[in-house]
This record gives sequence, C-alpha cells and structure tokens, in this order.
Amino acid sequence: MDRFAVLATSFVSIVLINNLVLTKFLGICPYLGVSGRIDMAFGMGLAVTFVVTLSGTLTWLIDHLILMPMNLDVARYVCFILVIAGAVQLVEMYVRKFFPALYKSFGIFLPLITTNCAILGLCLFIHLWGIDNLLDAVVRSFGAGVGFTMAICIMAGIREQLYLVDVPECLRGAPITLVTAGILALAFMGFAGMVR
Amino acid sequence: MILAGVYQLWQSAWPVGLIMFVLGIGFAIILLIAREKLKVEVDPRVLQVQRALPGLDCGGCGFAGCAQYAEAVLENPELIGRCAPGGQAVAAEIARILNLQISSSGPQQRPIVRCRAHTEDKTYYAEYQGIESCTAANALPNAQACNFGCLGYGDCTHACSFDALHMVDGLATVDYEKCTGCSACTKACPRDLIEMVPFHYENMMTVACSSKEAGKTTRAVCKVGCIGCGVCTKQSDVFSVEDNLARVDYGRYEPTEQTEAALNKCPTGVIVYRGRSAPQPRQPRQKAATPTKA
Repeated sequence: MDRFAVLATSFVSIVLINNLVLTKFLGICPYLGVSGRIDMAFGMGLAVTFVVTLSGTLTWLIDHLILMPMNLDVARYVCFILVIAGAVQLVEMYVRKFFPALYKSFGIFLPLITTNCAILGLCLFIHLWGIDNLLDAVVRSFGAGVGFTMAICIMAGIREQLYLVDVPECLRGAPITLVTAGILALAFMGFAGMVR
Repeated sequence: MILAGVYQLWQSAWPVGLIMFVLGIGFAIILLIAREKLKVEVDPRVLQVQRALPGLDCGGCGFAGCAQYAEAVLENPELIGRCAPGGQAVAAEIARILNLQISSSGPQQRPIVRCRAHTEDKTYYAEYQGIESCTAANALPNAQACNFGCLGYGDCTHACSFDALHMVDGLATVDYEKCTGCSACTKACPRDLIEMVPFHYENMMTVACSSKEAGKTTRAVCKVGCIGCGVCTKQSDVFSVEDNLARVDYGRYEPTEQTEAALNKCPTGVIVYRGRSAPQPRQPRQKAATPTKA
C-alpha cells in the first residue's frame, strides 16, 4: 500500500471502526452531557477535536523523543495529562475570547475536557498500537476528534428529535438517552473488524 | 540502609522529575503568552461583586452559582438582595459597587417547617423499611398514617449546606442561628412542608401543621395536628381556616394578647413559635374542643 492509502485507512479506522465513544466507550461524560442541542454538540466536538489533535501530536513527540529513549515509561501518564491540561487551558482562553456565547453554554464541560478520557485514551492507544510514524499519529489524533464530533452530533440530532416523541414516562430523560446511546453503539459494531 | 534506599530512589527518579519540570515550565510559558494575547476584558465590577459574595454557590438566588449571580446582578440591579446567605450586608456592598441606593429591603425570609409531630406524636400503620429518603417514602401511600406530616428521613437536612437543619425525634427542626434563608430545603421536601416566611420579628407564630384532612381524621393519626376547629380565628383575625387548616397571615402578624390567647387556647397546641429564641411548644390539652364542620 502506498503512503496515502495507509493514512486513509488509519483515518477511517479511528473515525468509524475504532470510534472512541461508540466502540471504546470513552468520553461518555460530554457525550451525554452536551448532546442536548446540535449546535452546542458541534462546538464541543470542535473543541475536543482541537485538543485531541494537539495533545495526540505532542504526546507522540514527547513519547518518542524523550520518554522512550530515556526509558522513562513510568512518567508517560503524568506527562500526557500535563499536555492535555495545557491544551485545554489554551482552548478555554480561545473560546472565551472569540465565542463568549459558546463559552457560557459549555459551562463546566469546557474545563472538563481535561478529564475527558477519550483524549487520554487516544494518546495511550497511539502508544499501545505501536504507531511509530508522526504523520500517522497526527491523522489518527485528528480522526479521533472527527469521530467524537460525529458521534456527539448524531446523538444530539437524535435527542432533538426525541423532544417531539411521546416517550413513556418512566423512560424520560436519562434512561431514553442511555438506551439511544446503546443502540447507536450497537449500530457501529457493524463496522467492527473491517480494519485494525 | 534507609539512606541507601533514599539515594537509590533519587537516582531513578530525578530524570522523571526533571522532565516534568521542563515540560511544566514550557507549558507555563506558552500559556502565559496565550493569556496575554487572548486577554478578555471583564468588567472590573464583576470581580468586585464576586469578591463581595459569600462564594458558597448554594443556588438560593436562582442562578447556578455566585459567579453567574454576579454577572446577572450587574445587568439587572433589581436582583440585589437575592443572596440569602449574604443578607443585608452583601446587598449593601453590591449596591455600593454599583453606585446605587437600596431602599431597606423587606424582612429576612426564613423557613418554617409546617409540622410539629415528633415520632411519639405520629401514628404508623406499618413499618417502613425502604430507602431512607422522604422522596422514596412519599411514593408509598402509607409510609406513615398522616399524608401531610414530616416523614423524618431528612431529605431537607441533606439539602442544607449550612448544617442548619436537623432531625430531632423524627421532625425536621431548623437551627435559626445557622440558617441563612437560602431556601434549598423548601425544594427538597417532597411534601412541600417547608415554607419561606418573612420574619418580621425574631420569633414568628405559626400553625405547625399542613394537614388538610377533616379534623376527625387528623386527630386519629396525629396528637398535635390542626383539626380546623377555628378557636384561633375567634381570638385574633390574623388566623383564618381554610381546608380544615388554620393559617397565619404573616404579613399582618404582630405579637399581641390576642395571638397569645389563640396560642394558649389551641386544643392541640399546634400554634407554636418558631425562631431564634422560640419557647418550647406547649403540650396538647387533654380534653379537646369538638371539631366543627368547616
């Protein structure tokens, strides 16, 4: 396979087949918390995409240039968290400056991207899958963000429609949301095993 | 031995520490630059108001927290005085920051539990062994015989951020020394027993019952319930009986001989004082007046 095909496969793999939210069940907190309205969900997706791309790239660099040559695997988690926290701070300042309305509607969920396990999960998966090519790592990081955005936007679209539906009283609110999320995840299992 | 161990630990740990330090410094510099570049001009008064507020984030004002309230109060100064824990002092401080004069706001709002039945006064048809929560117990028709009284599982005490509500013998009891009037407890009670009342005086007289059952039914299930007999209404006109339940018009209440007489003549002793230095409620009289049809 030529280089482009490898990268394209990586991208499709992380967006659809190994989607962090729907197949790895990471990042469920913002996935359920901010998926009430589709515009907010899209904004959240963009913020996560930025953070995950930045931190995925930076952590790959730190992992391969500093930690691995010096045999300091113990410090991996701490370093990764540091990178993510820094990136989130950057995003928070940016959003606050340029999108005050979005900043308000995110509320606590914006700083909570720090503890979004999808991001740390992706950084660790990149190590786990043994990706030793910077471009591949960047593509996968970006793809993870796109996958998250897609998942949260699908969810928000469904939940907006759910307002118009006569849901049984005992299932209203959180239960129907969790049922929806489960069925969505089942649907995405159809992609499983197509590529690594 | 120990020294050697510490030395070994140091030997293996210093590179990690150094890397973390360098990375931390690097990110700190980037963030510092970003902070300068992406500075947001905040109205300095917002910060002043935030500093003046108690910072408890209790939500009593109707906003998510103190920061949101500070922003809202700047836009709409009519919201001054919503901060119950801060009270008059904070309201005055905010008014000073906003360069406004406040007219003296009304009396402080404090909660009153409209039930006075302790465990020994209540009747039970069966023993409730479910979840220790009023909301859960209230879902059952007969968690206790009285369908209006305090259930005593303390949902309101959990809602209180100020340790001002306690279960005393199965009855929620407000500690008015600690209470700030944030009204969190009123939302927690599944039976809407807790009412915010303007405390014109240090102690307010109240009808500590909310049973709307007929007098006979109330008497059958509770020793200290209001039977709607109307004796109090004959003593003082601040009392009125509606739906078999006497009420105090708190706006017109003032401690007079008439109200005192009503308190003393109440057959079940359900008229009580509530407040910082409220006297102990008296015992119900042995022989009760016959309940009249409302």
